[in-house]
Amino acid sequence: MSSLPACLAIFERDVRAVVRSRSQLYSSMFTPLLLLVFLGSGVSHGLAPSRLPAGGFTSYMVAGVVVMTSLFSSTFASASYYRDRDSGMLRFMLTSPHSARTILLGKSLAGVVIGTAQALVVMALAAPFLDLGWQYGIVAGAVFIAATATVLNLLLAGFAQVLAARVQTMQGFHLVMNLALFPLLFFSGAFYPIDDLPTWLAALALANPLTYAVDALQVAAYAGDNSAFLGLWVDLPVLMAYTAAAIALASVRLPRLTWSGA
Amino acid sequence: MAADGGKLDPMNPPLAPGTQAIEARGLKRAYGPRLALDGFSLDVPVGSVFGLLGPNGSGKSTFMAMLAAMERPRAGTLRVFGQAPTASLRAHLGTVFQEPALDPSMTALESLVLAGRLFGLSRGAATDRAQGLLSRFGLGNRARDSVSTLSGGMRRRLEVVRALLHEPDLLLLDEPATGIDPDERRLLWQSLLEGQDGRRTILLATNDLAEADAVADRVAFVRDGRVVASGTPSALKRDLGREAVRVRWATSADAEAAASSNWEGCGTVTRDGEEVLFTVEQAASFVPQLFALAPPTIRSVSIEPSSLQDAYFQHVGERVRAEATA
Repeated sequence: MSSLPACLAIFERDVRAVVRSRSQLYSSMFTPLLLLVFLGSGVSHGLAPSRLPAGGFTSYMVAGVVVMTSLFSSTFASASYYRDRDSGMLRFMLTSPHSARTILLGKSLAGVVIGTAQALVVMALAAPFLDLGWQYGIVAGAVFIAATATVLNLLLAGFAQVLAARVQTMQGFHLVMNLALFPLLFFSGAFYPIDDLPTWLAALALANPLTYAVDALQVAAYAGDNSAFLGLWVDLPVLMAYTAAAIALASVRLPRLTWSGA
Repeated sequence: MAADGGKLDPMNPPLAPGTQAIEARGLKRAYGPRLALDGFSLDVPVGSVFGLLGPNGSGKSTFMAMLAAMERPRAGTLRVFGQAPTASLRAHLGTVFQEPALDPSMTALESLVLAGRLFGLSRGAATDRAQGLLSRFGLGNRARDSVSTLSGGMRRRLEVVRALLHEPDLLLLDEPATGIDPDERRLLWQSLLEGQDGRRTILLATNDLAEADAVADRVAFVRDGRVVASGTPSALKRDLGREAVRVRWATSADAEAAASSNWEGCGTVTRDGEEVLFTVEQAASFVPQLFALAPPTIRSVSIEPSSLQDAYFQHVGERVRAEATA
């Protein structure tokens, strides 16, 4: 029996669930946009950061806000794994003739598509109001942004699945996501250039996968040239390597479900 | 896979004559130090409604999990329609778990269409079949309603519909009537057996003896991870060959004293709290003896023909007696 229709059915069902949950749909985008408006405007006017490579602080921050949207979205999407486990739906799906990998792939793909779409919507809503360089032009820049957002959301989906295989409760999952991913955002270049960081933190930033997502988005939209950035030829391969590692790790150890529950 | 989007492949290769729906031999499975299955052997004929009866923790659910290839035996052999259980064989199985397994945010119809697609039906075929089954199970007018608005009994019926949607050859029902009222239970079984045409095998795991007595044409008693008796309910009752005298004492100490005495003409003695069940050759000669010799705080005595419950207690309840008299 082909696994593709089953995977597609689960994908459709998870996307429908998010579209129906308006609070989940909008809050993932609304909070980062608020941060962009208030923090960006406040810092631009209050602190006037002089060491930014180009544009104002609000324009600089848009890449970080796009990454933050994906973080929120992937956290919400991964919660559906726990909801399905607790409602028994996951157990039922595993009695179908398909492997656990197929079932989880369908769920992860839904999270990736929703997270990518939300990231792109945030970018599209913010871009007209910002001073962006678009060094490769708007069309090519948009393609790079879409590619980066897709790879980033695949990375986050893989990471979330690795966590779900090890963390038993949704509360624990959210705690680990908040403890692990949001601090990563703070030294990823999302809110200030990593060149300004102390040496030890700058070194950590280079090991941080989110750094490469933020840099790629900045190079694609914000920057007028590549001089102050790592560049797409570094960002995309490194990000893809991290993503491949996360997906490989996720597929090695799947969450264990039994007849009577988790 | 469904060639027309609506019919699953038949069993391939076709069943050889005499093949059992389920054939288990000496299954063993342990979880840490606890033996869940300890030499579990069972034959379930094709087309039967088979009751698997035993107390909680006796190994029924572990056996069900093995049939669905969600667990593997550490020893022994298991065949479902002559094949070792695999993920692909699950296409021929329908499952209802003891605990609810529905997404409350989906509608009844969406739940069924998703299940149909997971089992290889096209969206259209799943929808058509779902609507027919929903009507048969009295849920036709609730197809577009959210699962969260359905009563507990309706949800159980919906889960049974979902398990039947892809026309499985073997239906695994793990305590399907748990938590529903008698009317809902009757409706569920009535609808379920209405479509029982002798081709589908139903394996019902339950500890509700009355339910099994009413619907199963064969049963097996399970205790401590093994089958201790099996046969038709009438044969098991007949084999008991006795009458049942049920006596209730004022205190469990009196009941225990009575249960541990030696009674002439008495077969098995099973105590459950203040109540003791004696299976006897002739109740007419046993009851006077009881009043003469037993502790005098008898509250009630009833004489009944042997029931499946008596047979169950004889085979499974011995442990209760042993513990009570230890």
